[in-house]
Amino acid sequence: MQNISPKVQNQINMLQQMQQQMQTILSQKSQYEMTAQEARKAVEELNDTDDSAAVYMSVGTVVMQKPKAEVIAKVTEKIETLEIRIRSIEKQEKMLQEKFEKLQNQVRSEIEGRKAPEAA
Amino acid sequence: MAPVDPREVQSLQNYLNQYTQQAEVYSRQLGIMEEGIREANASIETLNALADAGEAPVFMPIGGGLNIRATIVQPDEVFVSIGSDIIVQKTNNGAISYLQDRIKEMEASAKNLTEVLQKIDAQVKDIQKRLELLYRQAQTEQQGAGSLQ
Repeated sequence: MQNISPKVQNQINMLQQMQQQMQTILSQKSQYEMTAQEARKAVEELNDTDDSAAVYMSVGTVVMQKPKAEVIAKVTEKIETLEIRIRSIEKQEKMLQEKFEKLQNQVRSEIEGRKAPEAA
Repeated sequence: MAPVDPREVQSLQNYLNQYTQQAEVYSRQLGIMEEGIREANASIETLNALADAGEAPVFMPIGGGLNIRATIVQPDEVFVSIGSDIIVQKTNNGAISYLQDRIKEMEASAKNLTEVLQKIDAQVKDIQKRLELLYRQAQTEQQGAGSLQ
Protein backbone atom coordinates (compact mmCIF):
# COMPACT_ATOMS: atom_id res chain seq x y z
CA MET A 1 0.00 0.00 0.00
CA GLN A 2 2.96 2.33 0.65
CA ASN A 3 3.80 2.21 -3.07
CA ILE A 4 0.48 3.73 -4.10
CA SER A 5 0.94 7.31 -5.27
CA PRO A 6 -1.38 10.06 -3.96
CA LYS A 7 -2.88 10.31 -7.46
CA VAL A 8 -3.83 6.61 -7.51
CA GLN A 9 -5.07 6.82 -3.92
CA ASN A 10 -7.28 9.71 -4.98
CA GLN A 11 -8.59 7.68 -7.91
CA ILE A 12 -9.35 4.74 -5.60
CA ASN A 13 -11.31 7.09 -3.33
CA MET A 14 -13.25 8.31 -6.36
CA LEU A 15 -13.99 4.69 -7.29
CA GLN A 16 -15.38 4.07 -3.81
CA GLN A 17 -17.54 7.20 -4.04
CA MET A 18 -18.85 6.03 -7.41
CA GLN A 19 -19.71 2.65 -5.95
CA GLN A 20 -21.72 4.35 -3.21
CA GLN A 21 -23.49 6.53 -5.80
CA MET A 22 -24.27 3.43 -7.81
CA GLN A 23 -25.78 1.71 -4.76
CA THR A 24 -27.97 4.78 -4.06
CA ILE A 25 -29.12 4.89 -7.69
CA LEU A 26 -29.87 1.16 -7.76
CA SER A 27 -31.88 1.24 -4.55
CA GLN A 28 -33.90 4.22 -5.87
CA LYS A 29 -34.49 2.36 -9.13
CA SER A 30 -35.64 -0.76 -7.33
CA GLN A 31 -38.05 1.33 -5.21
CA TYR A 32 -39.57 2.91 -8.34
CA GLU A 33 -39.79 -0.49 -10.02
CA MET A 34 -41.62 -1.95 -7.04
CA THR A 35 -44.08 0.96 -6.91
CA ALA A 36 -44.71 0.66 -10.67
CA GLN A 37 -45.24 -3.08 -10.33
CA GLU A 38 -47.75 -2.54 -7.51
CA ALA A 39 -49.60 0.06 -9.60
CA ARG A 40 -49.69 -2.29 -12.62
CA LYS A 41 -51.21 -5.02 -10.46
CA ALA A 42 -53.77 -2.54 -9.12
CA VAL A 43 -54.81 -1.61 -12.68
CA GLU A 44 -55.05 -5.31 -13.55
CA GLU A 45 -57.28 -5.87 -10.51
CA LEU A 46 -59.43 -2.83 -11.37
CA ASN A 47 -59.89 -4.09 -14.94
CA ASP A 48 -61.11 -7.41 -13.53
CA THR A 49 -63.50 -5.63 -11.16
CA ASP A 50 -67.13 -5.19 -12.07
CA ASP A 51 -67.95 -1.69 -13.40
CA SER A 52 -70.64 -1.27 -10.76
CA ALA A 53 -68.24 -1.98 -7.85
CA ALA A 54 -67.38 0.93 -5.60
CA VAL A 55 -63.78 2.04 -5.93
CA TYR A 56 -62.10 4.24 -3.32
CA MET A 57 -58.86 6.15 -3.48
CA SER A 58 -56.69 7.87 -0.89
CA VAL A 59 -56.77 11.63 -1.37
CA GLY A 60 -54.49 13.28 1.16
CA THR A 61 -55.58 11.96 4.54
CA VAL A 62 -59.03 10.74 3.51
CA VAL A 63 -60.33 7.94 1.32
CA MET A 64 -62.89 8.98 -1.27
CA GLN A 65 -65.14 7.05 -3.60
CA LYS A 66 -64.19 7.71 -7.23
CA PRO A 67 -65.38 6.46 -10.60
CA LYS A 68 -63.43 3.35 -11.65
CA ALA A 69 -62.37 4.92 -14.99
CA GLU A 70 -60.92 7.96 -13.19
CA VAL A 71 -58.93 5.76 -10.80
CA ILE A 72 -57.57 3.67 -13.68
CA ALA A 73 -56.54 6.86 -15.53
CA LYS A 74 -54.77 8.23 -12.44
CA VAL A 75 -52.89 5.02 -11.72
CA THR A 76 -51.93 4.64 -15.40
CA GLU A 77 -50.53 8.17 -15.32
CA LYS A 78 -48.60 7.30 -12.17
CA ILE A 79 -47.12 4.24 -13.92
CA GLU A 80 -46.04 6.38 -16.88
CA THR A 81 -44.33 8.90 -14.58
CA LEU A 82 -42.54 6.10 -12.75
CA GLU A 83 -41.40 4.53 -16.03
CA ILE A 84 -39.93 7.87 -17.15
CA ARG A 85 -38.06 8.13 -13.83
CA ILE A 86 -36.79 4.54 -14.17
CA ARG A 87 -35.51 5.23 -17.70
CA SER A 88 -33.74 8.37 -16.50
CA ILE A 89 -32.13 6.44 -13.63
CA GLU A 90 -31.04 3.73 -16.08
CA LYS A 91 -29.29 6.41 -18.16
CA GLN A 92 -27.50 7.72 -15.05
CA GLU A 93 -26.60 4.15 -14.08
CA LYS A 94 -25.09 3.46 -17.51
CA MET A 95 -23.08 6.70 -17.49
CA LEU A 96 -21.79 6.04 -13.99
CA GLN A 97 -20.91 2.44 -14.87
CA GLU A 98 -18.90 3.63 -17.90
CA LYS A 99 -17.07 6.24 -15.83
CA PHE A 100 -16.37 3.63 -13.15
CA GLU A 101 -14.97 1.10 -15.61
CA LYS A 102 -12.78 3.73 -17.28
CA LEU A 103 -11.32 4.88 -13.96
CA GLN A 104 -10.93 1.29 -12.78
CA ASN A 105 -8.91 0.47 -15.91
CA GLN A 106 -6.75 3.56 -15.37
CA VAL A 107 -6.03 2.59 -11.76
CA ARG A 108 -5.32 -1.01 -12.75
CA SER A 109 -2.89 -0.04 -15.50
CA GLU A 110 -1.13 2.48 -13.21
CA ILE A 111 -0.73 -0.12 -10.45
CA GLU A 112 0.45 -2.78 -12.91
CA GLY A 113 2.77 -0.24 -14.58
CA ARG A 114 4.39 0.39 -11.19
CA LYS A 115 4.72 -3.28 -10.39
CA ALA A 116 6.35 -4.27 -13.69
CA PRO A 117 9.79 -2.64 -13.11
CA GLU A 118 9.93 -4.07 -9.56
CA ALA A 119 9.37 -7.60 -10.91
CA ALA A 120 12.15 -7.12 -13.46
CA MET B 1 -0.08 -32.07 -4.19
CA ALA B 2 0.34 -28.35 -5.00
CA PRO B 3 0.90 -26.11 -1.93
CA VAL B 4 -2.10 -24.17 -0.61
CA ASP B 5 -2.59 -20.91 -2.50
CA PRO B 6 -3.67 -18.20 -0.01
CA ARG B 7 -5.41 -16.37 -2.87
CA GLU B 8 -7.67 -19.37 -3.42
CA VAL B 9 -8.51 -19.47 0.30
CA GLN B 10 -9.25 -15.74 0.30
CA SER B 11 -11.41 -15.97 -2.81
CA LEU B 12 -13.36 -18.96 -1.41
CA GLN B 13 -13.88 -17.10 1.87
CA ASN B 14 -15.24 -14.11 -0.08
CA TYR B 15 -17.64 -16.33 -2.03
CA LEU B 16 -18.74 -17.96 1.22
CA ASN B 17 -19.51 -14.56 2.77
CA GLN B 18 -21.42 -13.42 -0.33
CA TYR B 19 -23.51 -16.60 -0.48
CA THR B 20 -24.25 -16.42 3.26
CA GLN B 21 -25.43 -12.81 2.89
CA GLN B 22 -27.60 -13.74 -0.12
CA ALA B 23 -29.10 -16.65 1.80
CA GLU B 24 -29.97 -14.31 4.70
CA VAL B 25 -31.76 -11.89 2.32
CA TYR B 26 -33.72 -14.71 0.65
CA SER B 27 -34.59 -16.28 4.03
CA ARG B 28 -36.00 -12.96 5.21
CA GLN B 29 -38.07 -12.68 2.00
CA LEU B 30 -39.31 -16.22 2.48
CA GLY B 31 -40.32 -15.39 6.06
CA ILE B 32 -42.30 -12.34 4.84
CA MET B 33 -43.98 -14.51 2.19
CA GLU B 34 -44.93 -17.19 4.72
CA GLU B 35 -46.29 -14.56 7.10
CA GLY B 36 -48.38 -13.11 4.23
CA ILE B 37 -49.82 -16.55 3.47
CA ARG B 38 -50.68 -17.12 7.16
CA GLU B 39 -52.34 -13.68 7.37
CA ALA B 40 -54.38 -14.24 4.18
CA ASN B 41 -55.55 -17.65 5.43
CA ALA B 42 -56.60 -16.09 8.76
CA SER B 43 -58.57 -13.40 6.85
CA ILE B 44 -60.32 -16.07 4.78
CA GLU B 45 -61.26 -17.87 8.00
CA THR B 46 -62.63 -14.59 9.41
CA LEU B 47 -64.63 -13.86 6.25
CA ASN B 48 -66.15 -17.36 6.29
CA ALA B 49 -67.06 -16.98 9.97
CA LEU B 50 -68.60 -13.55 9.37
CA ALA B 51 -70.67 -14.88 6.48
CA ASP B 52 -72.00 -17.62 8.77
CA ALA B 53 -72.57 -15.29 11.72
CA GLY B 54 -74.64 -12.78 9.76
CA GLU B 55 -75.30 -9.76 11.98
CA ALA B 56 -74.44 -11.53 15.26
CA PRO B 57 -72.22 -9.38 17.52
CA VAL B 58 -68.47 -9.89 17.47
CA PHE B 59 -65.62 -8.66 19.69
CA MET B 60 -63.56 -6.00 17.98
CA PRO B 61 -60.01 -5.69 19.35
CA ILE B 62 -59.01 -2.07 20.05
CA GLY B 63 -55.50 -2.82 21.30
CA GLY B 64 -54.06 -3.37 24.77
CA GLY B 65 -55.99 -6.62 25.07
CA LEU B 66 -59.30 -4.73 25.03
CA ASN B 67 -62.33 -5.62 22.94
CA ILE B 68 -65.64 -3.94 22.31
CA ARG B 69 -68.84 -5.54 21.20
CA ALA B 70 -69.57 -4.71 17.54
CA THR B 71 -72.14 -5.65 14.97
CA ILE B 72 -71.17 -6.02 11.34
CA VAL B 73 -73.88 -4.07 9.59
CA GLN B 74 -73.11 -5.34 6.10
CA PRO B 75 -71.20 -8.64 6.37
CA ASP B 76 -71.26 -9.06 2.61
CA GLU B 77 -69.48 -5.76 1.94
CA VAL B 78 -65.71 -6.14 2.12
CA PHE B 79 -63.28 -3.34 1.26
CA VAL B 80 -60.08 -4.70 -0.23
CA SER B 81 -56.83 -2.72 -0.50
CA ILE B 82 -55.39 -3.61 -3.90
CA GLY B 83 -52.23 -1.48 -3.60
CA SER B 84 -51.40 2.03 -4.84
CA ASP B 85 -53.76 3.47 -2.16
CA ILE B 86 -56.83 2.01 -3.87
CA ILE B 87 -59.64 0.18 -2.14
CA VAL B 88 -62.25 -1.85 -4.00
CA GLN B 89 -65.55 -3.02 -2.60
CA LYS B 90 -66.11 -6.75 -3.00
CA THR B 91 -68.59 -9.30 -1.77
CA ASN B 92 -67.51 -11.76 0.92
CA ASN B 93 -66.93 -14.43 -1.73
CA GLY B 94 -65.18 -11.96 -4.04
CA ALA B 95 -62.76 -11.00 -1.25
CA ILE B 96 -62.08 -14.68 -0.45
CA SER B 97 -61.37 -15.39 -4.11
CA TYR B 98 -59.04 -12.33 -4.24
CA LEU B 99 -57.12 -13.64 -1.21
CA GLN B 100 -56.93 -17.15 -2.64
CA ASP B 101 -55.33 -15.74 -5.80
CA ARG B 102 -52.81 -13.78 -3.67
CA ILE B 103 -52.03 -16.96 -1.69
CA LYS B 104 -51.35 -18.86 -4.94
CA GLU B 105 -48.97 -16.10 -6.08
CA MET B 106 -47.18 -16.02 -2.72
CA GLU B 107 -46.89 -19.82 -2.65
CA ALA B 108 -45.33 -19.79 -6.13
CA SER B 109 -42.83 -17.10 -5.04
CA ALA B 110 -42.09 -19.01 -1.82
CA LYS B 111 -41.42 -22.17 -3.85
CA ASN B 112 -38.99 -20.28 -6.11
CA LEU B 113 -37.24 -18.77 -3.10
CA THR B 114 -36.94 -22.19 -1.44
CA GLU B 115 -35.35 -23.59 -4.62
CA VAL B 116 -32.87 -20.70 -4.80
CA LEU B 117 -32.05 -21.16 -1.09
CA GLN B 118 -31.43 -24.88 -1.63
CA LYS B 119 -29.04 -24.10 -4.50
CA ILE B 120 -27.17 -21.53 -2.39
CA ASP B 121 -27.01 -24.00 0.48
CA ALA B 122 -25.47 -26.65 -1.80
CA GLN B 123 -22.90 -24.12 -3.05
CA VAL B 124 -22.07 -23.05 0.52
CA LYS B 125 -21.52 -26.69 1.50
CA ASP B 126 -19.21 -27.25 -1.50
CA ILE B 127 -17.15 -24.18 -0.61
CA GLN B 128 -17.00 -25.18 3.06
CA LYS B 129 -15.78 -28.65 2.09
CA ARG B 130 -13.07 -27.18 -0.18
CA LEU B 131 -12.01 -24.69 2.50
CA GLU B 132 -11.81 -27.41 5.14
CA LEU B 133 -9.62 -29.47 2.81
CA LEU B 134 -7.34 -26.49 2.17
CA TYR B 135 -7.07 -25.65 5.88
CA ARG B 136 -6.15 -29.27 6.67
CA GLN B 137 -3.59 -29.29 3.85
CA ALA B 138 -2.13 -26.00 5.10
CA GLN B 139 -1.84 -27.47 8.61
CA THR B 140 -0.02 -30.56 7.27
CA GLU B 141 2.32 -28.29 5.28
CA GLN B 142 3.09 -26.25 8.41
CA GLN B 143 3.72 -29.40 10.48
CA GLY B 144 5.96 -30.78 7.72
CA ALA B 145 7.93 -27.53 7.60
CA GLY B 146 8.23 -27.58 11.42
CA SER B 147 9.61 -31.14 11.54
CA LEU B 148 12.23 -30.27 8.90
CA GLN B 149 13.69 -27.46 11.07
